Amino acid sequence: MTTRKAGEPPAAKASPSAAATPVASGRLRGQLASVQGRRLRNGLLALCALLVLALLPTIYDQIFGFSADFELHRVTFIGILIIAALAQNILTGYAAQPSLGNAAFFGVSAYILAWLNTDLNQPYWLGILVAMLVSALLGFVVGAPALRLSGVYLAIVTLGLVLVAGALLNVWDTAAGRQSYELNNLPVALTDDHVLYFMVFAIVVVIIFLSYHLLRSRVGRAWVAIRDNEVAAEAFGVPVARYKLLAFVVSATLTGLAGALYATWATTASSSMSSADQTIAFLAMIVVGGLGSISGSVLGAIFVGLLPLLLGQLPDPFSIGPFQLQISSLITLIYGLLLLLALIFFPTGLRSLGDYAKTAVQSLAQRGDKR
Amino acid sequence: MQALLQVILAGLVTGSLYGLLALGITLVYRTTGVLNFAYGAIGAVCACFMYILLSQARLNFWLALLITLLCAPLLGVVLERGFARPVLNAPIFTKAIATLALALVLQALAQQLWPQLNSALHFPTPFEGHAARVGGVYISLVDVIILVITLLIMVGLNLFLTRSRLGIAMRATADGLSAARMVGIPVGLIFLFVWALSAFIAALAGILLASLQSLIDIQFMDSILLFAFVGAVLGGLDSLPGALIGGILIGFIDNLLAFLLANHALGTLNIGDPGIREALIFSGFVLILFLRPQGLFGKTLARRV
Repeated sequence: MTTRKAGEPPAAKASPSAAATPVASGRLRGQLASVQGRRLRNGLLALCALLVLALLPTIYDQIFGFSADFELHRVTFIGILIIAALAQNILTGYAAQPSLGNAAFFGVSAYILAWLNTDLNQPYWLGILVAMLVSALLGFVVGAPALRLSGVYLAIVTLGLVLVAGALLNVWDTAAGRQSYELNNLPVALTDDHVLYFMVFAIVVVIIFLSYHLLRSRVGRAWVAIRDNEVAAEAFGVPVARYKLLAFVVSATLTGLAGALYATWATTASSSMSSADQTIAFLAMIVVGGLGSISGSVLGAIFVGLLPLLLGQLPDPFSIGPFQLQISSLITLIYGLLLLLALIFFPTGLRSLGDYAKTAVQSLAQRGDKR
Repeated sequence: MQALLQVILAGLVTGSLYGLLALGITLVYRTTGVLNFAYGAIGAVCACFMYILLSQARLNFWLALLITLLCAPLLGVVLERGFARPVLNAPIFTKAIATLALALVLQALAQQLWPQLNSALHFPTPFEGHAARVGGVYISLVDVIILVITLLIMVGLNLFLTRSRLGIAMRATADGLSAARMVGIPVGLIFLFVWALSAFIAALAGILLASLQSLIDIQFMDSILLFAFVGAVLGGLDSLPGALIGGILIGFIDNLLAFLLANHALGTLNIGDPGIREALIFSGFVLILFLRPQGLFGKTLARRV
């Protein structure tokens, strides 16, 4: 602020707020304006997104006609993925906890909902709430030892948790003599694809709104402080252990919600929801989208969700030359490859594509100036 | 008593396999800082490759074995160059995710290449059906081979790491990367060599497991990888004998639990199910880790916070 050169015109005719702080220079005001501009832009984008979401079913009715419900059903899946991606991003991108365990909450909460709703005949909403509560509790139980473990050990323990939870759910299935858990007692309204679509995306919008504000609150700042420098955060009086635990609980609750919604969406819960493949799908979303960013989570979820939607158009099995490719394993292959490529070449993810483009254009322009 | 001896023998045999895998995991982690979740997939792909050589190319068992064991280090070299080197300076967690993705990619590729291996197939070996009865305990030829090979690998590795120039250079690299670079150790080559060596061990473990079960499919290593990791962590992730002992310990407990829990049921719930055993062992492991975060044999390290 005080680096203003002598030759520069002073920041005269300042606005009232700038007059109160005489050192405020044009640069600061420029920053302020750009922040306001960004807010305006973000607000407009959010409004556009809401409009698209609200109009999408009507548009789909026009485009797809009879199969509109089916197509809408597949889009709903992306909404569920957005919740799961946000949950993983809060834990890994913000609070920097290298946890691979979210798939366990995803599977367990789906089974809890299935059990309460189908076998115990409890109301659907109670099932969802209990599923989220159980997930939160599990998140607490997993988070507590996590405080004592450093990176690698935590990764092993959480991945083990996913595999063990999957194995136990499978044991439950075997004991009950079923292949997977069918939810055949869902509220009738939710069997309508339009209702499910609006319900899921209403929840998504609320959760994005809440996490936007949570991440800009004291809690979110504490997580970022822990991520950026744990020692410094501790020295500044951030109760590191408590906030790490909170990140686990919040993430587990959201993942639990996503799992319960997924079970509703698919009307079945299977033990493969808690598997290494699922973990990879979650991580691919946030790594491809962008760590530590809400828009990154949304972009990553859209990307990962669109892939099976697009590949689903191909014939199954799809043949290239002599090879017969199964679409399901092709999807896994592409997720894995994408994740690898993103980690190696593009560690900041899709979210920063715009920034990359901007820098590229600027450097090109500069080169032009020099000539 | 005889049943117990049989259980102990089985524990020693499966434990050796866990130990071999734990050895490879620890080797790569110690030297290059990569926690290799793809380790099971590497072993499985190598064993599947050998099965293809046996069944489709109709090669002699020993020739197929030789080719597989020569190709495995090549796979390790390719993975190091193409995958581990680019993420070398990334945080440990990034590398762990990357190996998890690598595991999926390897398995999916193998699935596309050899679709017949999606279901379990018979893995033919010349050792099949040979068994001896020693003091009331049945011991098969495969059991003996597994024990002998594990012993050979352990002793060989130990001699190699303490006596040879390359082994000492490897240990130096593990202890301090920049210091090793400064005294002129070709660190890049060492990394390459470590990956090749670990892929070789993975292939060996994969083939031994396939011979033991005489069944093979693409995912057949997944079920034992978790226990291999548990063994490696119990060993502290930094000592090779620790990893082997950790693996054997898990093998013992696994077989003992299988023996004790077999044919028990709670209602329709079959307690002898491998899933329950896995959960029990895993919770015990987490408990141990909670009490001793550095593992059973690991050294205590000072933490910053």
